[in-house]
Amino acid sequence: MSEVIRTVAKPPENFESKAWKFMRYSGFLLIPLVWGHVLLQDIIVGVHQIDLDYVAMRWASIGWRIYDTALLAFAFAHGVNGIRQVGEDFIHSPRGRRILNWALIIFWVTITAIGGIALIGGVAKPS
Amino acid sequence: MSSLKTTLSGYAGYRGREGHYSFLLHRITGLGTALFLTIHIIDTSWVYFAPNAYQFAIDLYRSTLFGIGEIFLVFSVLFHGVNGLRIAFFDLIAPKFWQIKKTRSSTRWTLAVTLVLWIPAAGIMIYNILHHNFGMFGG
Repeated sequence: MSEVIRTVAKPPENFESKAWKFMRYSGFLLIPLVWGHVLLQDIIVGVHQIDLDYVAMRWASIGWRIYDTALLAFAFAHGVNGIRQVGEDFIHSPRGRRILNWALIIFWVTITAIGGIALIGGVAKPS
Repeated sequence: MSSLKTTLSGYAGYRGREGHYSFLLHRITGLGTALFLTIHIIDTSWVYFAPNAYQFAIDLYRSTLFGIGEIFLVFSVLFHGVNGLRIAFFDLIAPKFWQIKKTRSSTRWTLAVTLVLWIPAAGIMIYNILHHNFGMFGG
């Protein structure tokens, strides 16, 4: 019996295929970023040692601010796209999906901006 | 609303064993982590927008209830990471592994690696709760 080989053209890139790749490549990056963050803040330092002075000390170093910026950008984008994928399992109508996508874009931009402003502004003096 | 019911009953009723359970656990841990991440970005931003509120949030995180939540959060982050690595490795590097036998064994390995990483971390976090909140170990 001869083997039948069927070739198919590679489909062109679209938003979904880019999002699919983003989830995997950002995932590789988030392993050191998130696990490093959890190991340092939750296990080594611990929440009982964290306060405003600790954050101020940490953010005095530009390296940690860049680390936290990368964490904010990649982790939150990965999370919001994940919510979108789960949401599209439940919402099938084109109108519902449009609403979901716009709501998530607004959510994503707002929360990222809040975190980004705080990262640039730094620790304020408590009253 | 019917699509909610259809999707949820599909999630619950599908009998895909290991692959099905890891799919569900990946989603639950991912959604849980995304929920916490949203709250965490907001409370961390209070160091700039409302420093007094930040101290209040930290006091809340130090409570025993949130300490227990933190232990489950760390499980979620570890499982989602190990399982995500498995999925990305299969998808991008070895798609020939996407078959039932490999899915079953790799899912079991994923859980084992997660537990090996999680148990010592959980032990340290339980120690911290007992030390700081219950005055044990000379706290």
